[in-house]
Amino acid sequence: MDMVSMGLLAAMGALATIAGTSEDLESDVGSQSNPNSQVQLAAQVGHTHRIYNKAISGEPPSNALYAALAAVTASVLMSDAYGMNAFFSIAVGSLVAAVFNGILSMTSYMGRNTSQARFNQYVYLDVLRSHTTTIMAHAYITAFCVVAISYIMTAPWLPIQHPFPLPVIAFTWGIALGAIGSSTGDVHYGAEREFQQYPFGAGLNAANSGDIVTKGEAGLRSSIDNAWFCAKFGGPVTGLAFGLIVFLDNWRTTIFDPATQGWYAIATGVLIVVLLNVYNRILEVRSKKRYGPYPEYVGDIKA
Amino acid sequence: MSVAAGGGESKIDKTKLTMYGLGGGILGIYLAHVLNMITGTGYFSFLAGLGAIAAIVMGADAVRRVCAYGIGTGVPSIGMMAMGMGLVAAMFGLAVAGVAGPIIGIAIAMGFGYFVGMLANKIIKMNIPVMEEVLMSLGGAGAVVIIALSVVISGQIGYQDMLNDVVFTGFIAIVFIAGALAILQPFNANLGPDETQDRTLVHAISTGGLAMFAAGIGSLITVGVGGAVLTMLIAAAIWLKAFLWYFKLVKRDSAGVVGTGLLAEGGL
Amino acid sequence: MSTFDASTLIYVIQIVIGGLLVGIGVHFVPVGGAPAAMAQATGVGTGTVQLATGSGLTGLISAGLMMSVTDNILLIVLSGAVGAMIMMDVTMIVGNWVYIYGIGVPPVAAKVDYDPITKDPQPPYISPGTVGHGVPTVSYVSGTIGGLLGGAGGSLIYYALMNINGVSGLSAFFAIGIFVVNAVIASYNIQGTIEGFHDPKFKRIPRAIQACFIATLIIGIFAVLIHGGA
Repeated sequence: MDMVSMGLLAAMGALATIAGTSEDLESDVGSQSNPNSQVQLAAQVGHTHRIYNKAISGEPPSNALYAALAAVTASVLMSDAYGMNAFFSIAVGSLVAAVFNGILSMTSYMGRNTSQARFNQYVYLDVLRSHTTTIMAHAYITAFCVVAISYIMTAPWLPIQHPFPLPVIAFTWGIALGAIGSSTGDVHYGAEREFQQYPFGAGLNAANSGDIVTKGEAGLRSSIDNAWFCAKFGGPVTGLAFGLIVFLDNWRTTIFDPATQGWYAIATGVLIVVLLNVYNRILEVRSKKRYGPYPEYVGDIKA
Repeated sequence: MSVAAGGGESKIDKTKLTMYGLGGGILGIYLAHVLNMITGTGYFSFLAGLGAIAAIVMGADAVRRVCAYGIGTGVPSIGMMAMGMGLVAAMFGLAVAGVAGPIIGIAIAMGFGYFVGMLANKIIKMNIPVMEEVLMSLGGAGAVVIIALSVVISGQIGYQDMLNDVVFTGFIAIVFIAGALAILQPFNANLGPDETQDRTLVHAISTGGLAMFAAGIGSLITVGVGGAVLTMLIAAAIWLKAFLWYFKLVKRDSAGVVGTGLLAEGGL
Repeated sequence: MSTFDASTLIYVIQIVIGGLLVGIGVHFVPVGGAPAAMAQATGVGTGTVQLATGSGLTGLISAGLMMSVTDNILLIVLSGAVGAMIMMDVTMIVGNWVYIYGIGVPPVAAKVDYDPITKDPQPPYISPGTVGHGVPTVSYVSGTIGGLLGGAGGSLIYYALMNINGVSGLSAFFAIGIFVVNAVIASYNIQGTIEGFHDPKFKRIPRAIQACFIATLIIGIFAVLIHGGA
């Protein structure tokens, strides 16, 4: 453990936080993954919309694609044949990943809305023009941060030197990031923002499925409005999640040398897991006490 | 993500697609290998990329057939599983059989797929009629795509070359995920009651072009600038043509492609 | 082709055990699928395979780092398990933050009337028209166990393959491939959503054990015959 390693660790944590935030906002601007099922359902129950219906087959594979593509381009440019500086290589690689994201998003929007032709769902070209570049920008930030983290973990002149090659680590972090973003920030978009007309404090009643907000504060609801809202809570929280995971995973092996003190690293990990379990219990008890039981409940079980 | 919305009928027969996919894939791989060996350069690697696109179209059609049954776990999982099976089988074939490796690898992958489909139907009792046959096609498509994109990067079929150019550099990551996404993105992006087979398959050609381009980027340092730039240019041209064709089909099928506008009244 | 002798047999057994751990672990992870993302079902709001693969692969990174400096199988497998557990736990905690503070619902399970671990009553806290929401204590503990098993399984497969072919990138991708096959078979078994080990669907585990055993055995036999080049 030395100052350089700790400094790099802090940088990795910060990059991971930004990556998590931008990944979640990217999946909010282009409605992706599970909340998108409600957007899909909305047209089928009669609520046509102007939401960007992007469905790039789940967040883990798609984020893995951007990360791996940026990493491959970066490693090609950093190799001896081209000898580009690491910073610029990762930037160019992220640009290629962002372009791929833009192409996949556009075709997905067009495809999904076309396959709902019988419900009179139009394909709005101005939605494509205004939103696609925003989505690409978020994907650029995500890819850049993930590849930067992977580069710090694999660069031969830096202390960690993970055995996996750069694209493989980027691929793995991409899948993990997609899984995290899909589990945390997307819930804020799906349960809160998509159904903001229903009162705060309840899950989505099955009877209201598909009844998403299509008319916004002034004019029709657009996905950029949704990203504005989710950037206040869902995005940063996802960033915290990914940042914590990257930090805690690597902190244990930075303060304890893996070759000689591996068991201390494992013990620290187990301690963290136990503390998180206890914290979850505390959260659960406090939330039930604060919110109380639902008045509509008419069974025998006492709260 | 269990959206059980099926699609339209299939106008293109699945056996023909399977034959074209497998045949085109194997042809592309061997042509690239033989021509590269004869000329001693890497200029013909793009032929393997064309083979990959054929297999991607076949795989996208297989995904289309199975997901109409609402298997409950969503489209991405089945694509990743196909690539996982295809990867192990492809590497096995290449490691043990030298130049005949691709054919053996593809056959083993199809066997895996059939076997896992049988497990799913008999032990897990999913009882989906097309499961074995679809997973067999998907396994085969996965293996062809992995071998073909790897040949784009390494230029020849030899196992040691493949290890040096694709595995040690880490490019196997992009081969895996770009191939997986190319197979399962078309159906996922066109999911809905008015999905038509030709639009989905044209989309598959365009995602195949993207996967070929991604492999081309990797081949810049393994095959040489000439071959790599040729691959990337051809991939970009295929993508552009397929994308414009796809947009024409979108205009044909949709309720309306409008520049801007308010919401239409719900149809039905 | 590598020789098929006694040590190869041990590696095949390790791969099969790893695959079984993955398949069983997927049954513990509380996943609500698309409805959970709308606070309509208990569990994390994502797909089974996605979350299991995400946590297993995070464990694989830790295991890979450990394997480059040591040879101790217990240390490698456990560090993979701990990496996956941390990922799963942080994801579930942050998910609960969003449910409690962002949407305003308490974590509650719907498949049981009383939480098996804390004995808290569940039905009065379920929003009307939903089938539970959030990650209550029993699901959280179940998820931790699921992360442990999944991470351990993936790391064990990686360990066995590294000992055979010595190429870290190749072994990592084979491990990912075998991991995904087992995770998908297990998720077919639970049909995409499960609340944890208290869920009645958990009793279907024997079918998944059989299917994962056979599938991993076949794929594992092929995987061990792939050598790592000259």
